[in-house]
Amino acid sequence: MKRLRGRTAITLLLTAALAAGLVLFCVRLVAHGGEWVGFFGTTYYDAGALYDANGVLLYDGETGSYAEDQATRMATLHLVGDRNFGTSLRSVLSSRLSGYNPITGTTLGSHDVMLTIDSALNRTALEALGGSRGVVAVYNYVTGDVKCLVSSPTYDPNDPPADVNENPAYEGVYLNRFFSGTYPPGSTFKLVTTAAAIEKKGDLDNFRFTCTGSTQIGDGVVTCPYAHGADMTIDQCLACSCNGAYAVLALELGANELDKYMKEAGLQDSLTVDGLHTARGSFDKAEAGSVWLGWSGVGQYNDLVNPCTLLTFMGGIANRGVAVTPELVGREAISGTQIPAALSGGPDTFNIYSSSTCDRLKAMMRNNVVSSYGQEQFGDLPVCAKSGTAEVGGGQQPHAWFAGFVDDPNHPLAFVVLVENGGWGSQTAGGVAAKVLAQAAAG
Amino acid sequence: MGELFTRIKVVFTELWADIQSAIANADPGEKVLSVLDAILPVLCGVLRVLAVIVAITVIARCITSLYREKTGREIWGWLTTSDGERLNLHHWENALGRGRWADVALQTPTVSRTHAALLRDHKGNWKLQPLQTKNGTRLNGKLVVHTIPVKTGDVIDLGGVPLEFYAISEEEEREQAMRWGVAERPLSPGRTLAYLMIFQIMMCIQCLPGREGPDMAMIAISFAILAAAMWGMYALYRSLKRTAFEAETIAFFLCTVSFSITAAYSPDSLLRQTICMLMGLVIFFVLSVLLRDLRATVSLRWPVAVLTCLLLIFNVVLGQRLFGAKNWIDLGFISFQPSEFVKIAFIFTGAATLDRLFARRNLLFTVLFCGFCMGCLALMSDFGTALIFFVALLVIAFLRSGDLGFLALMGTAAAAGGWLVLQFKPYIANRFAAWRHVWDFYNESGGYQQTRTMSAIASGGLFGKGTEDAFLKNLGAANTDLVFGVISEEFGLILALCSVFVLLVLAVYAVSRTVNARSSYYVIAANAAAAMLIFQASLNVLGAVDILPLTGVTLPFVSVGGSSMIACWGLLAFIKAADTRPNASFTLRLPKRIRGWIPPDNDAIYGGRYDDGYDYDNFDEYDDYEPYDEYDSYDGYDPGDDDVREWQPRNTRRQDTQVWRRDDPAGGRPETRWQDDDPGALWPQDGESDWEHTIPFRSDNGRKGGNRS
Repeated sequence: MKRLRGRTAITLLLTAALAAGLVLFCVRLVAHGGEWVGFFGTTYYDAGALYDANGVLLYDGETGSYAEDQATRMATLHLVGDRNFGTSLRSVLSSRLSGYNPITGTTLGSHDVMLTIDSALNRTALEALGGSRGVVAVYNYVTGDVKCLVSSPTYDPNDPPADVNENPAYEGVYLNRFFSGTYPPGSTFKLVTTAAAIEKKGDLDNFRFTCTGSTQIGDGVVTCPYAHGADMTIDQCLACSCNGAYAVLALELGANELDKYMKEAGLQDSLTVDGLHTARGSFDKAEAGSVWLGWSGVGQYNDLVNPCTLLTFMGGIANRGVAVTPELVGREAISGTQIPAALSGGPDTFNIYSSSTCDRLKAMMRNNVVSSYGQEQFGDLPVCAKSGTAEVGGGQQPHAWFAGFVDDPNHPLAFVVLVENGGWGSQTAGGVAAKVLAQAAAG
Repeated sequence: MGELFTRIKVVFTELWADIQSAIANADPGEKVLSVLDAILPVLCGVLRVLAVIVAITVIARCITSLYREKTGREIWGWLTTSDGERLNLHHWENALGRGRWADVALQTPTVSRTHAALLRDHKGNWKLQPLQTKNGTRLNGKLVVHTIPVKTGDVIDLGGVPLEFYAISEEEEREQAMRWGVAERPLSPGRTLAYLMIFQIMMCIQCLPGREGPDMAMIAISFAILAAAMWGMYALYRSLKRTAFEAETIAFFLCTVSFSITAAYSPDSLLRQTICMLMGLVIFFVLSVLLRDLRATVSLRWPVAVLTCLLLIFNVVLGQRLFGAKNWIDLGFISFQPSEFVKIAFIFTGAATLDRLFARRNLLFTVLFCGFCMGCLALMSDFGTALIFFVALLVIAFLRSGDLGFLALMGTAAAAGGWLVLQFKPYIANRFAAWRHVWDFYNESGGYQQTRTMSAIASGGLFGKGTEDAFLKNLGAANTDLVFGVISEEFGLILALCSVFVLLVLAVYAVSRTVNARSSYYVIAANAAAAMLIFQASLNVLGAVDILPLTGVTLPFVSVGGSSMIACWGLLAFIKAADTRPNASFTLRLPKRIRGWIPPDNDAIYGGRYDDGYDYDNFDEYDDYEPYDEYDSYDGYDPGDDDVREWQPRNTRRQDTQVWRRDDPAGGRPETRWQDDDPGALWPQDGESDWEHTIPFRSDNGRKGGNRS
């Protein structure tokens, strides 16, 4: 009998295995319960509602219906998402929409979530894009609240086009380009090169460049659209976006410095905006002295940026070196009763360049608008900006960029506009930015 | 936290508004109904929290009752060496030898490691079985080759070591049982059952919202039958002088959970669930009684095995044609899965008494039988159950042989078999494809059920969302395969964990009882049954939440399904049979003359008084028991005799049991002898006057509860 007693350990072993399995499960439940409740295949708990900042209903989980107005539905599709979207606010917020917490599960009922978005502004932005593919985003660089976020192409979730999967016009329609896209930055990257030059090149004020329209760099040539002029200062070079000047600067600074300053700007990081992750930008270090290093300094070659991190970078310059991570979610409420906000230390921030560098960049960007892009289209708003025209090759029109901010404490707005294959940056994208900013500042 | 307070505020604001509008209703009848309508969801929410608390109380009481006392050891006889040392026989099956694992260890080189066995049957007859021939075994000087009877006073000679055999008398057996009956009283089962009944009422109410009149009646009646069965069984136990009811309470707790999820899904199925539970009780009783007589049990092994094989062959060959499914037998009024009953038969035939353990090739029969069963199950495509059989076989084989190499061999064979199965049944391989990646397959067959289960568990939180709003129960086979998720969603994670936890308690209980078990048959059967329940629960619970592959087996006692319910009660009988606490299992016969005496519950003892109406301070009142003795005529034995008073001090708790001690004349550590070590006759007697009688630990003042008189 004693002999058997030792052998009963085999039963205890099985028992311990079951206990261990239960513990493992409980650990996983605590860690992932929110995701499990909100997984996108479920139709069981997604009962909360999404509203914009002004209380306009964007999505009602109870009935599964979207905004009443078609233009609003289309302008907010990439935020709200439908079943075809891998990620959207509805999927990342689903555990909050369903009111999940580990103690009570979803038993206490759903939450209503108010976004910071102004859907009217989104409509204007989508309209301004005029059917082009691209991104328009505006955010408050002090609080981080995103006021406007549109990704195009889009469609009406109540009436999805039949040919959405075949028609090239809808290519990438299920992506929110603001978060998931990466694009060659074109001349907007010159801000990074400029920042590196301000800090690393001591005699920048004495820098003079004569542009003949093409500049011999290493064994190749960096071209400008036309001869920009003789003996230009750095401010003039940025304002006319002279490729030759920036290629020369890039060669002087070297690939490592450019890479370092791009990283400092946060352009190679992935941000997390209320659970949505942005794509990472990248920089290929070209061989020293080569023409490719020159091109990489003007935002071509293999440079890539993500619109969201670029927007945050703009906010960081406006904020004199402190970049505020964007936020999309405002308040939460249960059956109309607002949930008191948890104590928090304000928005997430990170530091980019020194405040003096940012001040210098700000002045140069203001100069861009005044001397090159034209202040008249922005009315009274003191806009600081940099345009970009990113060549994409393949015989296609270049992508048009326009990124910057309003240097006004009453309207602390940073913006980024990307029009894919839109042509000339300041003309196409600048016009979109002007319309949206005017409405954002007025509202 | 802010969220919680806001939610509570909203709930009560809405409730108040509902009640106000209900009160505004003109018709008084409708007024009451609409107030009820408004209150019921909130009431159910509160009940769910309370039900969890009550459930934990029930479980805690069962555990306390099982483990409150260090188990004492029965003594059925002893051997006295030539220098007067006494070697106790604690079991009905005792191995004698030099080995570490011998029950009676003899440190003499001429004794073999496993020399002989002393076996007792339920009638008190002892036998000596020599287990080797090299170093001779002699009885009263004569060489013993085969098993022969022994009696008190016989001298057993093992390899030249003479031992005088003494079997305890009936009187000593009775004395031992009575002493234990006091020392090892269970925590009042009646009170635990009362809590359990409160739990049942709470669960019943929660199943009512959203149901129509006839369904409500069905639910109420089923729960009433459940409660009645529980109390009826307890009454039967009391009448049979058995008071330990922990394992049964646990089973009834699980049945309550099972009834609740059945009621939440389909009240119509409750009828079958109720009938099957009652049939399970019958099987439990029949098996328990059968196990009383081990000789008869062992002799039934072959017929049971043959019948089982015939049943399986019948099903495999004709099942499809007659009933449309190979693993079902449909008799029209009732259908059942034979594989569930084969589990009982397998343990019945697989367990073995000690004498068999030393026989050569003692496992061949079991391995062949198990192989046959698994083959039939594989033909029925019931691979989950086949796996359970295999694990039970491993447990039985290891308990019987202790041979790890053999286990490894069988494991390898099983792995090869599993590989073959995957070759021929690719749909099973699909399950493995999704395993650990179910979220990548959330809308495909491999991950559909698991993802829903995990989602439902998370959504239920700790206390569940009630039966009405739940969705998981409507998934195919959810109430059997995904039942852990169904409980979690409807009644909360805590209750679901409790439902599995009590199975762990049962398993540990089965193992812990082996210290005292009378026969290895009970040990092996209890362990195999516990292993089956545990492994089945593992496959069910961990399979549903993607820690193991989903195999589609039932959760013992809980899953909706009749055969499983019946079989689980059968398995419980094996576990319960291993319990040697006096008055625990009626598998163990009580000594004749103790039968009229009911040991009181521990709960009932305060200040020397049991709340059962008898004054135990005044032993004369013991006479009152005499008329209740239903078994035999009063033979002059009086529990109030002096010796009884000796071993039963006023307030009997283990801490207060007496020890005897004597100082070592050579100045070493004083030797102590516990009262429990030596039953009656061998307590320090005349001639051992240097033993000093002490009461070791607490005085009366320190006793918990104190003197209330």
